[in-house]
Amino acid sequence: MSEFSLNTKHEGEVVVIETNGYLNNVGGEQISNACYQAMDEGKTRFLLNLENSKVVNSIGVSILIEIIEKLQDVNGKLGYYNLAPIVEKTFNIMGLTKYSTIYQTENDALDGMK
Amino acid sequence: MQTSETEQLEYYLSSLNELGEVLISADELEKIGSEVLRLTLGTVMASKGAIFIYNTSSAFSFLAGQGTNIKNPFLPPKNIKENLKKYRYGHVLLDKNETWNTGMLKKHNKEIKTKVLLPLFNKDHLLGLLCIGKKIMGEEFSTLDLTIMEIVSSLLTRALYNNMLIKDVKKGKEELNIKLLELETLFDISVAISSVLDIDELTEEVLWRSVGILNASKGMVLLVKDGSPILDPLSTFNWDEKVPLLSKKLEVFKKIQENKKGVRYSEKDNSALQKKLGEKNLIVAPLVAKNKPLGYMILCNKETRKGIEAFKNKDLGLLTSLSNQAAVAMENARLFKEITKEKHFNESVLGSIATGVVTLNIIGEVDSINAAGLKILKTEKEKIIGNHYLFIFEKDEEISELITRSELENNTKSDVNLPLTTASEETVVNVSVSPRLGLDGKKQGMVVAIEDITDVSKVKNTFKRYVSKQVVDELLDNEAKLNLGGEQRNVTILFTDIRGFTAMAEKMSPEIVVSTLNEYFSEMIDVVFKYNGTLDKIIGDELMVVYGAPISGDEDTKRAVETAVEMQNKIKRLNKERKKRKKPEIFIGAGINKGMVVSGNIGSRDMMDYTVIGDTVNLAARLCSSAKPGEILVSLSVQENTKDKFDYIKLKPIKVKGKKNKIDLYKVNIVPH
Repeated sequence: MSEFSLNTKHEGEVVVIETNGYLNNVGGEQISNACYQAMDEGKTRFLLNLENSKVVNSIGVSILIEIIEKLQDVNGKLGYYNLAPIVEKTFNIMGLTKYSTIYQTENDALDGMK
Repeated sequence: MQTSETEQLEYYLSSLNELGEVLISADELEKIGSEVLRLTLGTVMASKGAIFIYNTSSAFSFLAGQGTNIKNPFLPPKNIKENLKKYRYGHVLLDKNETWNTGMLKKHNKEIKTKVLLPLFNKDHLLGLLCIGKKIMGEEFSTLDLTIMEIVSSLLTRALYNNMLIKDVKKGKEELNIKLLELETLFDISVAISSVLDIDELTEEVLWRSVGILNASKGMVLLVKDGSPILDPLSTFNWDEKVPLLSKKLEVFKKIQENKKGVRYSEKDNSALQKKLGEKNLIVAPLVAKNKPLGYMILCNKETRKGIEAFKNKDLGLLTSLSNQAAVAMENARLFKEITKEKHFNESVLGSIATGVVTLNIIGEVDSINAAGLKILKTEKEKIIGNHYLFIFEKDEEISELITRSELENNTKSDVNLPLTTASEETVVNVSVSPRLGLDGKKQGMVVAIEDITDVSKVKNTFKRYVSKQVVDELLDNEAKLNLGGEQRNVTILFTDIRGFTAMAEKMSPEIVVSTLNEYFSEMIDVVFKYNGTLDKIIGDELMVVYGAPISGDEDTKRAVETAVEMQNKIKRLNKERKKRKKPEIFIGAGINKGMVVSGNIGSRDMMDYTVIGDTVNLAARLCSSAKPGEILVSLSVQENTKDKFDYIKLKPIKVKGKKNKIDLYKVNIVPH
């Protein structure tokens, strides 16, 4: 698995961030920077396509929690799709799914963001 | 109570009421701190104040302040807890002579101009300090002010304590979640042991899980390869740079093998492995299965929200557990690969051999059969697997009895030329049955080897009519000897015929002719086969026998003469019996020649016989014609070849058809026996 990278695209009001690599401290920081920059521009709906991030650690999860906390202040939403089973399990155990949503496909996710 | 006092009391009560609401509604400690401080200073009419938290690392951190710029944490004066204990649940009016008010605390108190200091104690635990500066107008704090401050400090203490508990619960919950993840990871890997059987896939899975669960930044699995001094990086994770060459002999790996446990390196260590990997914080755990080192798992850099830190012993403990699981899984995968390979090998061996192999389980049911077995039994796998051998060989008692005997006596039994009616009426097989033993020596069932000899049997039966059993067996044992294509061979030919049989037959009924011939041929052919002659033809009452084709022997000519001599002697004995039965006597003449012939399968596609042709044959026939009853005439070549074994009488050379010159002729002096 190579160095973490991400790609951002806009689907209407939703910011879709496609990640590639280990969702750890480095990966988490990159995601949060992308989210905060978009939030500064007034965006409040975020989707993470984690298809190419098969491994996540608790630091990565805690950064996602920080993003969720910030989004709650602006009534925003964070969702994910294309999760590897182990990543989904980690999100569930770490309590992430109480405050954010996992979707199966991009279409489901975009519908859920409305 | 005067009106102003009443108003002041009401003001205090409303402040306390507001404070209660703050404590209930605010969920963040900073918010509580700043609100409590604002209300307290407002209530007692003070301009400056601060709240400091005494944290677990025995330092004061800033929670809230008014009229001050203090922000940074600071170390408390020595023995602050003990010195403040006497003011627990109360307050201290600060003056310049407080001996414990030193260092940064003194500096901050000076800045705040603290008049009243309220230690926030929960039982014996110091949770913080509430520092209240002087009154706005410079007057002294009233008793009521001080009481209010004590009530506030009590409520603030409770709030701090509750917050601490909530933090502890949150932290505990987070730790529990992480423990749950660790357990789930261990469980997942144990599941993977039974489901993932590809070593590469398995290693990657375990490495990824380990990196994730231990918050490592990257990792790798190195494999020990027999015969190689270098460790093979089987799998890496998040390792962008090239993996350096790592020798098995590196100190760290030796140490792990000696101590049978992993190692942990941090900033303060300076090992060769750290240098090679260019990383300071490492944990290395061995992958060991059945005391055999399979490899190592290495994780680098424990991530925290604040950056990288050294791994802890518990991290190494968890990695060791994961590595142990991985090693078992890898060993299982390796064994599975070997078993699969072995199975494929066995299957391909069994599939390629012509012998049918049927394995029976301990209760006698078929659990496997190879392709040849299916072909011989003329059946399909689905129809035979799971069926009992008594059912399968229902029509072939000899075979099922053979299996039963082997089963009961627990040893190998074999038999040949058994009919296999299960397949067809014509099928003939050789069967061998052996007990099948497991590694523990315990019986697991039986193996039945079936060799289809139907074709051989047919050949044998066909050949039997022409050559002796011995020759048939020799031919079948060594096909190289059998050259049925055309070739030149040096052979000896024997012709015999009954003298005067045509005239004799004219006086007999056809039945008597046939029975006479059968009796005669039966006796004569026995002699032919006794001396391994090849019965080439029976034409009427004439026999043509070849020695030296299709198989050459050292004493072909001798055996030809012996055959003729024994035939003549046998005829004499036969005639005695025939006389008794009042049957006409039979006399034969014989001719033997030796020389080159062309041998091979001669005839049309539909009717082809193995025979010999050439002058040698013709001369043998001519000699036979010239022989008188009871005589054996041989050519010069025969005489020369066997003169030291037989007594010959030289006769006058004769002229035979097709030969320009006369032929030398010898008569065998027959010694009766």
